[in-house]
Amino acid sequence: MSVLPFLAVAIVGAVIATLLRDIRRLGTIAGLGAVVVALAAACFINPDTPLSIGGGALAGSDHLRLVLTLCLAGGLLVLVVARLATWQPSAPGALLGGAAGIGLALGLAGTPPGLLGAAAATIAASVLALGSPAAPSRIRALARELRGAATSLVIGLIAAGIMPGAAPAPGAVPAEPAAAALVLLGMALIVAHRFGAIPLHARVSRLADAAPSGALPILAAWLPAAWGLVILGWAPAALGPSSAGLGLERGLIVTLALATLLLGTVAALIQDEVEHVVAYTIVADAGVALLALAALDPAARDAARAWVLVFATTRTAMIGWTIAFRAAFGTGRLRDTTGWLRRGPALGVALAGILLAAVGWPGLLAWDARLAILQSATAGPALLLAYAGSLGTGAAICRLLVVGGGRPSPIVAGSLGELPRLPERPPAGAAAPVTDGPPPVGAIARAAARARRLRVAAGVVGRDARRTLELNRVPLRAFAVILLGGLALLTAAGAFGIDAAARAPGPVLPSLSPFVGG
Amino acid sequence: MTPLLVAAGALVAIGAAVATGARDARIASLGLAVMLAAAPFVADPLPGPLQLAFAVMAGILAGFLVFVAARRVPNRAGPPLGLPATLGAAAAGFAVGIGATAVALPRLGPATALAAGLAACAVAVGPIAITRDIFRLGSALIVLVGGAILVLTALAGTPEPLTGIAAGIVLVALAAAVAAVTGGAVAATGGTAVPDDLPGRRAAATRAAGDDR
Repeated sequence: MSVLPFLAVAIVGAVIATLLRDIRRLGTIAGLGAVVVALAAACFINPDTPLSIGGGALAGSDHLRLVLTLCLAGGLLVLVVARLATWQPSAPGALLGGAAGIGLALGLAGTPPGLLGAAAATIAASVLALGSPAAPSRIRALARELRGAATSLVIGLIAAGIMPGAAPAPGAVPAEPAAAALVLLGMALIVAHRFGAIPLHARVSRLADAAPSGALPILAAWLPAAWGLVILGWAPAALGPSSAGLGLERGLIVTLALATLLLGTVAALIQDEVEHVVAYTIVADAGVALLALAALDPAARDAARAWVLVFATTRTAMIGWTIAFRAAFGTGRLRDTTGWLRRGPALGVALAGILLAAVGWPGLLAWDARLAILQSATAGPALLLAYAGSLGTGAAICRLLVVGGGRPSPIVAGSLGELPRLPERPPAGAAAPVTDGPPPVGAIARAAARARRLRVAAGVVGRDARRTLELNRVPLRAFAVILLGGLALLTAAGAFGIDAAARAPGPVLPSLSPFVGG
Repeated sequence: MTPLLVAAGALVAIGAAVATGARDARIASLGLAVMLAAAPFVADPLPGPLQLAFAVMAGILAGFLVFVAARRVPNRAGPPLGLPATLGAAAAGFAVGIGATAVALPRLGPATALAAGLAACAVAVGPIAITRDIFRLGSALIVLVGGAILVLTALAGTPEPLTGIAAGIVLVALAAAVAAVTGGAVAATGGTAVPDDLPGRRAAATRAAGDDR
């Protein structure tokens, strides 16, 4: 029942933010305000009694609350960074529309409704982010997203029809091993496409080129995470009993995952644009998602439910970092921004925090969850390869830091630093208000004079605040990115009860359909 | 398999073929509306009246949204295959679906749903794979999703009302997306062709300026 207020707020907020997006100031206030209200509503989602709808059910869970809260909190901070850099009118609507769809995908009982919710979320967020203003690159990206979402949905629906995640209905004939193999490969194809696993990686890098950067977290990180959660919730129940006969198919998926981990890391290490570096770290981590699917193990599923939160939060923080980086130096090319740490130490601190969150250390949730996934799907040399490849994101971030420690390039040397600045004060005489005529006589006249002075003072304060804001965009952006890094670090450390939420069973339902995501 | 079920399935197959094969975009959108409105009737047992009404209304609304987009499509933008070839593909898909009763596929729904679903998927795959026209691509995607829902009906039985409602919402959302992207393509390029990837693109380098309004 607690999901309904969130859905209402998010959908209405998406509509309002989209309608007002062409009015710059009002659109900003409405968009950010709607995200804040939706974030507050998401915080109140709890594992309550499922709401029965049309033979199915809609219910909240601790995991759903965490997914939506982290998605909206991270997205809000990225929007703030983006707003301090440039104006991206479509991003708030896309974030809200996508979050509403994720709420449906993970809150609805049963695999087909979950897949339909994930597809609706992808379609809504893509259209809101890329539909306006129309440009050839965005139309191309939107067509690619629609094609990908629809084909993923079709494969998923057919696979879930052949191998339902719940107990088979009375009278149903068990599926043949060949059907189970096809179903597993089909679902692996969906996970690979949604996360951008190699050789299906072009989607992510081209999305990074075309989409507004403020909408990238929802499009490139959180929506794939929702697809992954739905499929990983379904897989152990549907295919677990047949897992012994699926050795070849699981081996194929593990091979694809290892190739993705290693080649994605290599690609992230040779990219010159910071956005592409982030895109290829997403590609590399698609390998971990594929390994979680190949395991067909409830323990791996629970680990993946925790890992996916760390994955999406760290990628959100990295996207926020790239926006601040590009705005600070006017370019995202690493060869032109050597020595960036000298002019952006706060960005360096934030990136170091993201590095710690992405890699972790033994005992940290991020590390343990990732290791549990790798160990459940691989062994021996394959585990070693997977382990090395899973550190690729850390290697890519280390490269960014190493580039930042070099000799400052002319672009970096000429950029603004991160120190806060105050507007220059006008001469003392000029600041004094000019008063004409004799002093006011009577209570009404004195009140009117006082109100006039207050109006003048408020105008001066407003002007000063705006000038101060204009002068301090760089440090404010850096501060917001540090907050993003802190959020990623908290998530990686397992704050907010992530581990318990990931292991918690779904709500008990009146029907046979289990909750796939929450 | 009742004659009424077969008739509804055949209507779906013909609608899907018209939606993906008709040269006139408006006629294609009409075929899409017919397909989506007839699809809920290809189930045994039939869904409840409320669910049936919702699905039919969602189908008509999706068809209408695509019709709105069709009004902007230039006459020269035709389908990749002609209508006769598409009708042939639909007939082949339908026959395969009916004949699939010989295969030991676990199924809780009618064979006609499988036939209609396979027919829809058969005619949609071609345009999705090769077309460069955004309107044709969008119509084919809707046909494909409609076909997949029919296949799901054939495999898992008549969908629960919640699944039916969610499917209707997705179809309408997809149709709205097709309308939006078609309008955007016409506004940006003057046509409905998907723009080519530019060689050596550096879009990321200019994105910040492009977003600034």
